[in-house]
Amino acid sequence: MSLIYNWMYYIASGGLILIGMYIILVKTNLIKIIIGLNFIDTGVNILLVCIGYVKGRTAPIFSTSRINPTNVVDPVPQALVLTAIVIGVAVLALALSIAIKVYEHNKTLNVTKIRGLKW
Amino acid sequence: MQLITILVVSFLGAGIVYLTGKFSGRVRDISAVLVSLAVVILVGLAYNQKIYTNFYSLPFLNLSLSLRLNYLSWFFAIIVAGIGFLSILFSLEYIKDYQGVGFYYFMMLFVNAGMLGIVLSADFLSFYIFWEMMSWGTYLLISYKGGKAVAAGLKYIIMSVAGSLAMLFAIVSLYASYGTLKFSSLASLLQIASPGYILFLLLMFVVGFGVKNAIWTLHTWLPDAHAEAVSPFSAVLTGVLVRMGMYGFLLIMYSIVGLSLLHKLGYGLLNFNYILCWIGAITIVIPTFTALLQNDSKRLLAWHGIGQGGYMVLGIGVATSLGIAGGILHTLNYAVCGALLFFVVGAIEHRTGGVRDLNELGGLIKRMPVTFIAGLAGISGLIGVPLTNSFVSKWMIYKTLIMENYPFLAFAAFIGTWGTILSVYKFLHNIFLGQLPEKYKDVKEVPLTMQIPMILLSLAIILFGILPGIPLKVISGIEKSFGVEPLSTTMFGMPKEIGELNLINILAVLLVAGIVVYLIFSLSAKSRRVNQDDNYAAGLFVPRGKYQYSARFYDQAYRIIGPYLHDVVDDFYYWLVGKSKSSFQIVRQIYTGNINTYALYILLFLTLLIFVKLGWGL
Amino acid sequence: MVNPSLLIGLPLAFAFSIPLFGLISKKIEKYIPIIALFINMVISFMLIPQILKKPIVVSIGGWSPPFCINLVVGPLGILLATLISGIGFLVSIYAVSYIKEEPTEKYHILFLLLMVGAIGIVLTGDIFNLFVFFEILCISSYALVAYYKDKEGTEAAMKYLIQGSVGSSFILIGVALLYGFFGTLNMADIASRITSANPTYLFITLAFLITGFGIEAAIFPLNAWLPDAHSSAPSSISAILSGIAIKTGVYGVARMVYTIFNANSILLFIAFLGLLTLLIGEMCAFRQDDIKRLLAYSSIGQIGLIIFALGIATSLGVFASLFQIVSHALAKALLFLAAGYMIYRVGSKSIASLNGLGKKMPLTSFAFTIGSFSLIGLPPFAGFVSKLSIVYAAMQVKKPVFLAFIAIALIATIIEAGYFFKIVQNLYFKEGKNLDKITESSGYILIPIAILAILIIVIGVHPQFITGLLKASARELLERAGYIGWVLGGT
Repeated sequence: MSLIYNWMYYIASGGLILIGMYIILVKTNLIKIIIGLNFIDTGVNILLVCIGYVKGRTAPIFSTSRINPTNVVDPVPQALVLTAIVIGVAVLALALSIAIKVYEHNKTLNVTKIRGLKW
Repeated sequence: MQLITILVVSFLGAGIVYLTGKFSGRVRDISAVLVSLAVVILVGLAYNQKIYTNFYSLPFLNLSLSLRLNYLSWFFAIIVAGIGFLSILFSLEYIKDYQGVGFYYFMMLFVNAGMLGIVLSADFLSFYIFWEMMSWGTYLLISYKGGKAVAAGLKYIIMSVAGSLAMLFAIVSLYASYGTLKFSSLASLLQIASPGYILFLLLMFVVGFGVKNAIWTLHTWLPDAHAEAVSPFSAVLTGVLVRMGMYGFLLIMYSIVGLSLLHKLGYGLLNFNYILCWIGAITIVIPTFTALLQNDSKRLLAWHGIGQGGYMVLGIGVATSLGIAGGILHTLNYAVCGALLFFVVGAIEHRTGGVRDLNELGGLIKRMPVTFIAGLAGISGLIGVPLTNSFVSKWMIYKTLIMENYPFLAFAAFIGTWGTILSVYKFLHNIFLGQLPEKYKDVKEVPLTMQIPMILLSLAIILFGILPGIPLKVISGIEKSFGVEPLSTTMFGMPKEIGELNLINILAVLLVAGIVVYLIFSLSAKSRRVNQDDNYAAGLFVPRGKYQYSARFYDQAYRIIGPYLHDVVDDFYYWLVGKSKSSFQIVRQIYTGNINTYALYILLFLTLLIFVKLGWGL
Repeated sequence: MVNPSLLIGLPLAFAFSIPLFGLISKKIEKYIPIIALFINMVISFMLIPQILKKPIVVSIGGWSPPFCINLVVGPLGILLATLISGIGFLVSIYAVSYIKEEPTEKYHILFLLLMVGAIGIVLTGDIFNLFVFFEILCISSYALVAYYKDKEGTEAAMKYLIQGSVGSSFILIGVALLYGFFGTLNMADIASRITSANPTYLFITLAFLITGFGIEAAIFPLNAWLPDAHSSAPSSISAILSGIAIKTGVYGVARMVYTIFNANSILLFIAFLGLLTLLIGEMCAFRQDDIKRLLAYSSIGQIGLIIFALGIATSLGVFASLFQIVSHALAKALLFLAAGYMIYRVGSKSIASLNGLGKKMPLTSFAFTIGSFSLIGLPPFAGFVSKLSIVYAAMQVKKPVFLAFIAIALIATIIEAGYFFKIVQNLYFKEGKNLDKITESSGYILIPIAILAILIIVIGVHPQFITGLLKASARELLERAGYIGWVLGGT
């Protein structure tokens, strides 16, 4: 029980990444695949935050004077995650706009039918 | 004098000719002739010197490129320069109506320069660089004519690249084992190598040079390439370019590996030299008889080129002093005869508008007498009539085969000559003798610049036939540099101990016989001129057009030997290419176009990487 | 004493100033990338002699490594930065007259951002910074592939985006795991402490990183996006993608394997992967009808050769691999630029439609011939020297399996020769149809093509111009203690 409790967030992030990969492998609707990409991004972000977690410490925000560097969690991954979230949003926006154009040209979002370029 | 000047003059000359061609056609033609003549003179001046220079260094690979001149390189260099010059002289009139003439002259001079670089190089890296430059230059020039020549050029370059890459494999292996690529150092370093390694090297080099020299299984590019290229370049191809393979054989077998080491390769009868002799023998017999069946004059000559190359390989395979000398001399002789015959065909093409089909031509002796005499000289040279140059070289090869007790090989050599006689007679007869078709009534003799190369080469055939001592002196020098006992020669032949050939006797006999026959002819009753169509036909009137009895010469022979002489090697190569193309089509379908499949590939790669490597050990 | 961070900062500033210049006049926008990349090229050339003496380490923010983000400008970095700036400069000259479809200023902004991303990847010394610049490169290229907004472009961009995103996520997983093991993001710091972690977990991290960078580097099963993307993008972007973007992927793999992880046991597997990529790339290229797709598959093949050379873990092997990177970048950029303009003139992408163009567009066809001969590896062009170095480096490893590898690589060269020679013949010696209205390319198009052709010949005839820099870069990759010393032990 305590094993799951200790590893809960890692299992969650791994699970999200696996769900995301499953969606990309199996689903044939383009929008669903893009959502799958987003799942993977979210999973990786949770992984990053988890790595920075130290047991029993609190958030690294200088709000009161009782915060000193020995009782906050590692702040570096939090900064990395901020960057990664922004990158994920940008990719999502670009992907959705390209999906709109693909729909305009092919009149379908089924990935198995959008196969003009092959071999 | 510097060796590098020869190369610089050749390469820069090519570039300058191309640039002047942009301004004026006549200046370009004259400068092309001058450049090639200058090269001939420079090479001639370098006779009897031994020079060695380093001209370029590649420090990051610890290599330097160098050039050298000894008897072997001088011999081949003078052939290259001479035939190159005569070809350019010939093409002044021939190439006038083609498109892109500047490109043609540039490429001819470039290929010439490449070949000079090959024979002058002293280490394998510069050899390989010039070899490749010559190859791609040749490819561009074969395809120059357009139409069917394009496919011929592609076939040539693919086979040539395959050969060159085999050579590259051997060269880099040499470099990795010994750290140097200079011929002189390698000659001494290879003496202590294991026979297996030397056999591997020789095999790779034989593949590389064999593609160029067209030995039996690697010959399939040659008929198409010779037949479809423009005639002056076909002359260069057959005379010198193919013989670059011959130079390579001599270089690797005798200059570098050396005679003593060659004898150690193999057990009893199954040694390297004997197998090479057999390959040469097959190369003589099969192509010479395939030439019988050809109806296209250039294809016929191309198949002969392969056959005569077999004589050269046979000669140097029998590793005696007489045999090696015979092989090398035959290179010179065939260069002269083969180039001459291609010039003759080029002259016919020029005047009849590109006709090469032997069944259409005939009777041109009356309209083009100089070409006929050149053709006759070339034919006699090819067969080996006494007093022509090939007689000397073929005599040496026959004699050494008999002296060394190789009856089957000698038999193959004799059959080759018999086949040569049959097929070149067809060539001469169908073009020049017989009835003149109506449409060729007005052809004229070719212009002077085209006649001069033909006349010069015919004179060379007779000259080297009567005075074989001139080339044989150089060849003795070559043999001495190989460590083989050199042939002792006199101006007119060889003394009794070696091969007993004394041409002054033969010349005397033939002259006396000729004078007697001429006296009888001139003193007896005069001959009467008759119209050629005035023939007895049992009362029937045969119209003139149906009189072309030399068409489909050897028809019976087609029916008997035709099925046996189908080119199975060519079919094999086409089958191989076809199978590869269909397998490539299958490989293409990995990229199916479905994004789910692509994501699956990514995931499979990741899992494969993790599990395989973990199982294998880090 | 120029600060190398200008190499990244200047194009970035110019990129965001393009709309401002656009307010003054619409015509100036086309010339801004030329100015920015020219200044970049000049700065990198000026830095080369200094870096060959002692590499520069720039610490951002005034803190000392390993706590800050730093740029490590060693010989490898400056070599790739010069190559990127040079090719970018030439392609931006080409793009002045090639890009006519609106909105052109977005093209130039995205192009400069792509350059920033590429130069940032090769110059940085911090793994998360590497990831950020890698994302900048990837996102700009997704948008640029879809630039024409036609059916093929959007489909190719969509497939590229999905695969590229998966790759970037894998890289981020790798970065996260590395941070979890070592607590630092600085490459030199991780490199010096690499032996202190469990090898199995480290290997899983390396697998994620190789897969992620391998998608951009076009290693065998991961490169399915490449033919689509390179053939549907505008030709100047195809040249940049083939010439620069996939090389940064190779740089990523090399940095991970050699400097950070020091994973010598995986190098044989990488060499084998490279060979597989080479063979399959050349085989697929042989039967293409579309010239840009053929050139894209040929790029896959050449990257396979580069990765094969990288897997030969000797200094000559890495030297040969870097030389092949330079010669392939020059030749492939030349081929895409020339082919792109020929396609634009003729109006169709099939190879059969290029027949007979040698007479109408002689200089462009001549440049195309030079590029293809260099790729096959014929003297006297640059490709010959690099292929010779690769074969020689492979032959020096005295294991018999490498002899088989060399034989397979030479067979792939024969296949490559087959299709390139056929195209060259089609250009010059076959008759074309409907070619009356075609004239030679204009000045803006010809200048970069001519400069690239001249560079190929010059490097082929006299490779000593770049071999000093290449040897120093190879030494940097192989001697990781030197790299660690520059960052941690020095300034």
